[in-house]
Amino acid sequence: MTRRVAMRRGLAPRRIVYALLGIGVLGVAGFMISQALNTALVYFILPNEYAQAPSQYENRRIRLGGLVAPESVAFNDQDLQLTFLVTDGIQSYRVEHVGAPPELFRENAGVVIEGSFDADVFVSDNLLIKHSEVYEAPKDGHIDIEELRRSLQ
Amino acid sequence: MMDASERLRRPAWLRAWGVALVPLFLAAAYLGLVWSPQDVNQGNLIRIMYAHVSVAWIGFVAVGLTALFGALFLWRGKRRDDVLAVASGEMALLFSALTIIGGMTYSRPTLNTFWTWDAKLTLTALMVALLVGYFIVRALIDDPVRRGRVSAVVAIIVAASLPFNYLAAEWFRTLHPSRAIALDGSGVTMAPEMLFTLLFNTVVAGLVYAWFMVDRARLGRIEAQLEAERAERELGSVPSGGVVRV
Repeated sequence: MTRRVAMRRGLAPRRIVYALLGIGVLGVAGFMISQALNTALVYFILPNEYAQAPSQYENRRIRLGGLVAPESVAFNDQDLQLTFLVTDGIQSYRVEHVGAPPELFRENAGVVIEGSFDADVFVSDNLLIKHSEVYEAPKDGHIDIEELRRSLQ
Repeated sequence: MMDASERLRRPAWLRAWGVALVPLFLAAAYLGLVWSPQDVNQGNLIRIMYAHVSVAWIGFVAVGLTALFGALFLWRGKRRDDVLAVASGEMALLFSALTIIGGMTYSRPTLNTFWTWDAKLTLTALMVALLVGYFIVRALIDDPVRRGRVSAVVAIIVAASLPFNYLAAEWFRTLHPSRAIALDGSGVTMAPEMLFTLLFNTVVAGLVYAWFMVDRARLGRIEAQLEAERAERELGSVPSGGVVRV
């Protein structure tokens, strides 16, 4: 009997540590689930979705996804001003971003930009690349735009 | 009874398998780092993909097998299944963690971020957190039967997230690219040399997983045996009415 009590006492601190660890893990898991529900299900919106209800996104930080419209890219390497048009084929918006373009940034590349609208200009502070699931060796430098477009659906 | 060193000795076939993994690993690295062509968009960065994707797939398989052995333990109650579940679970945690590390390495130069909370990445982070929980739960419970049962339920919950994770980029809008290889046969959007390199890397990753899993299960069986012997000894010395559950 006394032995059992002693064993319990010896175990108590260890159990508390594990219980605290368990609560910590549950807390992290809960945080992740809430993050997922808030942002992941609609990770980004398309330009035409924004166009349908701009007031819904007023003064809100959003992610906008689309393709970099051809012949719309301008980059000033003095003040790192990058501007381009993001398009989903239906609607296009002008994007202003400060910072060097990422390595995979190019015309017709998929992008997800974080920031907010200032009138009809999207001011971005984070420029992410959403590349397609097509992997191929270079042949003639041709990029399949339809594939890229499908990857954004 | 075998003595301790005899018991701990790795069988010859397992040693041979371990040695064979070294050239296989080097061959996989050669295919990925040298032999594979560059990608039209990503250039040499495509080479990180072979490590990231192969490890991720085997991580999924490891989680699935952990849940499968857990379910077998729930069903038959054989200690052996619990031992296999833990052995697979440890590798599942390792491979999932490596998936995230490799993914971050790959993602920073290609997608321009280490991390973002899209559906696929969030589900993977959740998987790692739950696998950590799996081992916390195991450490909390002393009774081997209850330990096996409760942790099996955790493993099954983790495995339930696998289809969502696997198809996350198809079902939700994610930053993570979609699958290039559709298992339903609807097509592969990857150059043949790249596909071969990826599949070779996956097979080798699978053999590495299986080797560690089998070896860990071997140690787990010895562990279980020692635990049972200790319980038996204590049962012998404790007078009747002592509380020892096996």
